[in-house]
Amino acid sequence: MRDQTSALQRDSRRQFIRNSVLLAGGLALPGLPRRAAAEDRPPIGTYPAGIQGNTVTIGVAVPRTGTYAEQGEDELKGWQLAVEHINSGHPLIREISPKTKKGVLGKELKVVVADSAAKPNDAVQAQQRFITEDKVILMTGSTSSAVAVAMNKLAQREKVLYVTGISGSNDTTGKDCVRYGFRQNFYGETAANAIGPVLLKAYGKNKKMAFMTPDYTYGHTVTKSTSDYLKEHGGWTMVTNQVSPLGATDYSSYLTNVANSGAEVLLNVNWGRDAVLSTQQAKQFGVIPKMKLVIPYQIPFLAKNIGADLAEGVYAATDFWWTLEDKYPLAKMFVEAFRKKYGYYPEWGAENAYASFAMWADAVEHAGTFYPPDVIKSYEAGRKLNSMVGEVYFRKEDHQLVRPVVIVRGKAPKQMRNKEDFWEVTEVVPGAPLMQKPDEFGCKLGDYT
Amino acid sequence: MSVDRIDSPRRPLLVAALTAAALIAAPFVLPWLGAAPNTVNRILVWGLFGIGFDILFGYTGLLSFGQSALYGTGGFVAAYFLTRAGFPHVITALLIGMVAAAVVGYLVGLVALRRTGIYFAMITVAIAEVFYFVEFNPLAEWTGGENGLPGVPTPSLHLGFTTLHFTTGWALYPFLAFCYFVGIVIALRIVRSPVGVVLRGIRENPLRTAAVGHNVHGYKLAAFVIAAAYAGLAGGLLGVLQAFMPPEAFTFETSGQLVIQTAIGGRGMLFGPLAGAALWLFLQDFLQGPLGLGATWKLVLGLVFVVLVCFLRDGIIGGIRNVYRLVVSRTGKKATADAVPAETTTRPRVASSLPAAAHAANGFTGPIMQTISLTKHYGGVAANDAIDFSVNAGEVRGIIGPNGAGKTTFFKMLTCGVPPTAGTILFKGRDITGMGVTEVCQLGLTKSYQVNQLFHRLTVRENVTIAALAALRGPFRLDLMRRPADIPGLDDRVAHTLELVGLAGRGEAPVAQLAYGEKRRLEIGLALASSPSLLLLDEPLAGMTPTERADTVRLLKSIAQERTMIVIDHDMDSLFELAERITVLQEGRVLADGPPAEIKANAKVQEAYLGGLNGAPA
Amino acid sequence: MITWPNFVSQLFNGLALGALLALIASGLTIIYGTLGVLNLAHGAMFMLGGYAGFAAYEASGSFVVAVLAGTLVLLVVGIVMERVIVRHFYARPHEDQLLVTFGLAIVFVEAVRWLFSSDSKTITPPGALAGITPLGFMLYPTYRLAVVGIVAVALLVLFLVLYRTRLGMIVRAGIEDAVMVDCLGINVDRVFMLVFGIGAMAAGFAGIVNAPIVSLTPEVGEAILVQTFVVVVIGGVGSFPGAVLGGLIAGEIISLTSMVNPGYAYVMLFAAMTLVLVMRPRGLLGAIGRE
Repeated sequence: MRDQTSALQRDSRRQFIRNSVLLAGGLALPGLPRRAAAEDRPPIGTYPAGIQGNTVTIGVAVPRTGTYAEQGEDELKGWQLAVEHINSGHPLIREISPKTKKGVLGKELKVVVADSAAKPNDAVQAQQRFITEDKVILMTGSTSSAVAVAMNKLAQREKVLYVTGISGSNDTTGKDCVRYGFRQNFYGETAANAIGPVLLKAYGKNKKMAFMTPDYTYGHTVTKSTSDYLKEHGGWTMVTNQVSPLGATDYSSYLTNVANSGAEVLLNVNWGRDAVLSTQQAKQFGVIPKMKLVIPYQIPFLAKNIGADLAEGVYAATDFWWTLEDKYPLAKMFVEAFRKKYGYYPEWGAENAYASFAMWADAVEHAGTFYPPDVIKSYEAGRKLNSMVGEVYFRKEDHQLVRPVVIVRGKAPKQMRNKEDFWEVTEVVPGAPLMQKPDEFGCKLGDYT
Repeated sequence: MSVDRIDSPRRPLLVAALTAAALIAAPFVLPWLGAAPNTVNRILVWGLFGIGFDILFGYTGLLSFGQSALYGTGGFVAAYFLTRAGFPHVITALLIGMVAAAVVGYLVGLVALRRTGIYFAMITVAIAEVFYFVEFNPLAEWTGGENGLPGVPTPSLHLGFTTLHFTTGWALYPFLAFCYFVGIVIALRIVRSPVGVVLRGIRENPLRTAAVGHNVHGYKLAAFVIAAAYAGLAGGLLGVLQAFMPPEAFTFETSGQLVIQTAIGGRGMLFGPLAGAALWLFLQDFLQGPLGLGATWKLVLGLVFVVLVCFLRDGIIGGIRNVYRLVVSRTGKKATADAVPAETTTRPRVASSLPAAAHAANGFTGPIMQTISLTKHYGGVAANDAIDFSVNAGEVRGIIGPNGAGKTTFFKMLTCGVPPTAGTILFKGRDITGMGVTEVCQLGLTKSYQVNQLFHRLTVRENVTIAALAALRGPFRLDLMRRPADIPGLDDRVAHTLELVGLAGRGEAPVAQLAYGEKRRLEIGLALASSPSLLLLDEPLAGMTPTERADTVRLLKSIAQERTMIVIDHDMDSLFELAERITVLQEGRVLADGPPAEIKANAKVQEAYLGGLNGAPA
Repeated sequence: MITWPNFVSQLFNGLALGALLALIASGLTIIYGTLGVLNLAHGAMFMLGGYAGFAAYEASGSFVVAVLAGTLVLLVVGIVMERVIVRHFYARPHEDQLLVTFGLAIVFVEAVRWLFSSDSKTITPPGALAGITPLGFMLYPTYRLAVVGIVAVALLVLFLVLYRTRLGMIVRAGIEDAVMVDCLGINVDRVFMLVFGIGAMAAGFAGIVNAPIVSLTPEVGEAILVQTFVVVVIGGVGSFPGAVLGGLIAGEIISLTSMVNPGYAYVMLFAAMTLVLVMRPRGLLGAIGRE
């Protein structure tokens, strides 16, 4: 009898039995969230599983290898310093998050770290592991906007909060914004609007500009924002835009094109190691000092790597520079603490990292709970926060911090007071007027739950 | 022993059942071993990706470094539908992605498969790089450039009475496990089907596979498309698994990772890639996590890989299988026919009728093979020079000549293995100049080779099966789901052929274990299995003992009853006994032509062979 | 932009790129032609040469010592690799050879990453060669100019060895027919070892010479490997003149395409390779039957 039934029937019977078993088994699988413990909030994401016990864990995926490795390591130091300070209730933290005593809501912070190599795939993989194994209640890490965008989506899906590391693309709080993601640092649009007037004042109108752009959306959005501003307000023309892949080492073809373009100003949007190499090679091909170099979105350690000679007179827009310690008391505290622990002056990646954790601690303390939707609402309340660059607040429509952009210019070697005194802060431009209207870049925040 | 082979027809259900059991048990067992659900899910996706690749590489022998192109294509098409285009049904989108990848695979295969071996590998590398670039740059609008496509939803299944939501972690596992299970079941069917047998033939000896009448290019393309489909589905699943479709899917690294995993796990066994992926991901997690080695984990992995390639050629699963066989063969009794020593193989019987093929010599009279002024030049050397040659239906013709006379070149041209420089070839009155070996074999003309062209790692039975399949199914048929038992006449034809060449008791022996004489007989058997009406034999008696010679001559005589034969050999005595007429070639030209007695007495022939009475070299 | 001065500049730049590719490709083509092994670790050898030189540079401060170190270390690596591993793969199918060299490439890269970290390492070119040379139509880094010269000399030396010495004749004979060379009583094992060593040496020399131009990272060999394949395919497998010609052509393809759209430069290279493989598989100067 059995042989007479067709293979198909046998197959489908197998399938049905299997599915039923799966259904039954699936309901018993350990993947479903358990009942909430002490608090009376419904479970969501890693809450409340992640807050059992005395510690809470934060997942960090940062590039420790690859083109952005140097910047990634720097960021990591910022996070680690912040965690140390929060756990001990350091005075600097209490300036930013006044309700903090020790830890966050009394719980000690722990950090788990993975190498993302600035690849979205690796970051997502690592954070997924952190979520299931360590039950992290906060994720962070990006030096590439591609990672930030991917992490935004992951955060929204997994319902775990995410604060960006460094992310310069307009999209992160633009078309790719999410309810569960927050950004502290400056980005393409604000950089362009801040540095634009400075360049026009320094170099005049109707100049010819050349761009070197890394081929991903950070590069494209910064180039677009900057060139749009300069065209509109100063009549500058873009004579060439040399787009190179992330991680390129030989810029000879691009620089040859630039050299022959007739440009007067070279705006190098490349980042990390790409910026170092392209700038060094630009010098070798005689492109600088023939053209004026501008760095619309500054890179930590750039000046150290290319040397003060190359950095002299170069305008750049940045998030923070250590000489701001003379202007802002919190900056002074931060720079001192960082130097004491690590032996060098902090770059803006580290400062950005520190500030983002401090602000998260503040949001949680004000919410009085780790329950994500409440923490989000705490961010969105628009509280004025103290920071290393003065008073700032989060914009609730797109979760972008409204904060100033710092314009710096490279110092001449003989003007440097010490080995790390590369940049002179020429202006601190207030943030609000620099930003686009909240919905201008297509930001639609998602749901709370 | 092919008893434990995964593609053996004897255990179709057992493997599938074991797989199902393992997949069902996994979520209950693996957490105790410290495996995170997402890691297990990833292993399944890589495993599925690898099934297709194993069919391409392990079974067909095509090492492609470009599978990432198809993986990414499938993944991005599915992700695009689900994110930018707002298409709601996940499962349908995955299937669309799979089909898209298969189509793209077809087009890519048309280009890549024009070359073989290392050049094929290099083209695939280039294709992978081109696809990555195109995805990143010109098509960034659709693919999101380096951001990839975020926001890929997870599937839900409406079952009428309830809806199953497969979300993340262990909740997504059943969906992936099911996909993998279906993938394996289909693959098992494919590799057991006639197509699977032909693919293995292509892997072992593409030349002979074509010569016995299979459209090798067509089958390779089919394998390529199958691999592409698996890759495309796996790519789509990756997007679902991560909620995000990464551009890394397209990189050369992805292709490389697949190759390494398959090599580590074992090729040609379908489950190899799964094992390899498990090892890779386990090492990645374990070495970075508890051991805190950081980036050094890849060094360890590289070393493991090199060691495995050097010493464990069949990979992990292959190694386990070999150990299993070793254990079984030592403890179990070997009462099978495989143990029959060579001396007791049956001597070739007088040919009872081999099932007459459609192109047996029924009724055809007159010259079955004719060449007119057939010429072949290699550079300045004329290997064959304006040869006029004619053989009548039913004849047994012998061709002799000193070394370098151009006999083998002549045969190569007759079977269209090599195109002539000038001249025409007529077979049964039809102009076959410029056709290919496959076509000509299907018309009823085939050859047995001077140097054995066998399928070395397969058994004797499988060797003959490959040839028989071409005769029964034509040059190309995509019967992927057919079971070998369902082909009418196959078993009879194979059994008859084996009997005919005296290898009836050796069916399960791998070719590598045969004695030389047996291999020669198998060589003839392969040509016979397609029931040719004209059979060319290139030095069939070479290397045989006198007894074997006598047996083979008897065999040839009996075969000759039903067809026309042309035989090249150096054994004059045997050939003069066998052939009705002899043609003598020297330096690319016909020297003499006539019945054996005449040729023996021909002075010119003697001079050609012996250098003449005056000692001057010929 | 396509302008006359830019065209000439890119043409020249392509020459510089191509010279380097020609040298690396010569090594690869000799190995493949003689041993039939496609050395997927060739790019990693290029990288190793750079790092060996870097280590020597750190220790001695002399660029010349660095170049010598890079070259000699790779000669040893090549010989050892052939003796210990590759030798056992001649009888095995091509795919296995590809796999083992692929695996070795990974091991080399990761070993370097472990020893030197992933940070990029820079070597400054020797004082006399650091600087800018005005070439009329453009300014060109002096060191890159020097590299063209250095590579030309290296190629000349390789040519002399291959075509004017007994060893070279044996190697070329081995490319034609290794079995015959063996039958003639020549120690083919030793020839194979030397061939692999020479091929590796060419890559290593190129690696250290190129290091001051682009900084050193463990990944620097990956891109070079694929470009080298393209050169070998275009020029013809086993042909030394083919490698040189192919290298120059590849260099020009890259730089001239950059004139129009830099992003497409490498894709054009792959398109060219696929075209050659499909239309004239033996390459421009290769011999039929060596596939």
